[in-house]
Amino acid sequence: MATIESNPSDEIDPARAASPYAGTYFRLNGLHLAGLLSVLGGLALWEFFSRVVVANALFLAAPTQIFGAIYRLAVGGQLGPHIAVSAAEFAIGYAIASLLGIVIGFIMASSELGKQILQPWIAGLYATPTIALAPLFILWLGIGVWSKVLVVIFLVVFPVTINTEAGLRTTSARLIEMLRSFGATPRQIFFKLSLPSAMPFILAGLKLGIGRGLIGVVVAELFGSRAGVGRLISQSADAFNMPELFAGVVVLAVAGIVMTAGFTWIERVVVPWTRD
Amino acid sequence: MVKLSLNGLNKRFGELEVLREINIAIDRGAFISLVGPSGCGKTTLLRIVAGLEQASSGAVLLDGRAVGTPGGDRGFVFQSDNLLPWRTVFDNALIGPELAGRAGAAEKDRVRNLLRLVGLEGFENYFPRQLSGGMRQRVNLSRALAIDPDILLMDEPFSALDAQTREIMQTELMRIWEEGRKTVLFVTHQIDEAVFLSDRVLVLARRPGRIQETIDVALPRPRALAVKRTPEFMAYVDRIWRLIEDDVRASVIEDIREHGS
Repeated sequence: MATIESNPSDEIDPARAASPYAGTYFRLNGLHLAGLLSVLGGLALWEFFSRVVVANALFLAAPTQIFGAIYRLAVGGQLGPHIAVSAAEFAIGYAIASLLGIVIGFIMASSELGKQILQPWIAGLYATPTIALAPLFILWLGIGVWSKVLVVIFLVVFPVTINTEAGLRTTSARLIEMLRSFGATPRQIFFKLSLPSAMPFILAGLKLGIGRGLIGVVVAELFGSRAGVGRLISQSADAFNMPELFAGVVVLAVAGIVMTAGFTWIERVVVPWTRD
Repeated sequence: MVKLSLNGLNKRFGELEVLREINIAIDRGAFISLVGPSGCGKTTLLRIVAGLEQASSGAVLLDGRAVGTPGGDRGFVFQSDNLLPWRTVFDNALIGPELAGRAGAAEKDRVRNLLRLVGLEGFENYFPRQLSGGMRQRVNLSRALAIDPDILLMDEPFSALDAQTREIMQTELMRIWEEGRKTVLFVTHQIDEAVFLSDRVLVLARRPGRIQETIDVALPRPRALAVKRTPEFMAYVDRIWRLIEDDVRASVIEDIREHGS
């Protein structure tokens, strides 16, 4: 029998080796279409229910009335400032919480003492609905931007901390050993292995933080504020202006959807090895 | 000329005596295999040479110098490929020079040539998840070769592959070894693999792990897979199998007692 010649191209699995997105576009479009139809159908039902069954704009606004309200608020120049205030509160709080969460998570993962000291607080506060502290924060910091920033920080920092810690801790022992066999220093092991392998966890924590942060901004504004989307909602509720109340809710929904979608895109770019 | 020597090596994990009085001398450019049943300490022995584990007593000498920690003079090929999933084939293979702080143009050229040598030309920018098991082990091998080690330590590198791929990888390893003639210390539990690849097979006994027999394989090189069907080859395999048969049986029975009930 002759020597078996090796040919590496025989070994590659074509399904996995091909462009990871080949062939998925059409199916995605089909699924997108189903989603779009579901949304449009839901809106049509809502419109029908609101106009024909309830037929009272004090209780339920129809989608067309809501979009009309959004249009009027936008053109009238009221919507922009509300959004700007809420966006600033969210952005500042979210940025601080992200940084803080990653740092605390790192401390907990790298020091057993640090973990023992911080763990009870992190676990306890994560489980507590800290949003209930919003009135207290407003008492302390006033009804301006900073009380909302503090609420956002409290809501976002814990999922980021917990995920960062978990991600750094689950670094594969086999891979650590591999790097050690090449003489890697602890610092090199952290930057070349622990950090990248924790990235999917950290990003998941940040993604969780988006929804929580948005809730924080709005609820804190409901408790007391001069401007913001939450303020718009509470004002409209006081005036029984259902279309404008729903306009605020729709703005929030869109913000959440856009930011979550943006994050999914960031994940694709930053941790492409996790997609399958 | 002796490249690597182990002098009176002992290893204990607490009460358990893993290795007893290991004395080995390996010539430069030789291909040496360690075979033995599970629990004979062959992987521990390899890890001590790599510096990933410390001997309880005795010395590991490389070119006459004692070694105790991992270093660029020894390249380790792992049983599981241990590739970093976020790095391309090329960047995975370059990790050794990179960690040593010398991933310059010369090293990159070297890695490119190595990838060609192991048959991965054109796959430099692929990610590990896009590769088959055999291809990942090729990256594993080129990663160890990239630091241009004096000695290659291989820990059952083909054990996770299917039988056909394993045979191909064995001939590939022979081809690569013939080109560079690195000193190789190869751990396996497959007797035919050890005989096919090696100049010398060290047969280990278990509890405690110790060298039971040293067998020089006098089959001519280069060896093709067909050599596995010659009577001479089978005689070697048969002889080694008879040496470890009782030990293997004992380890299997022990396994059943520990896990089977």
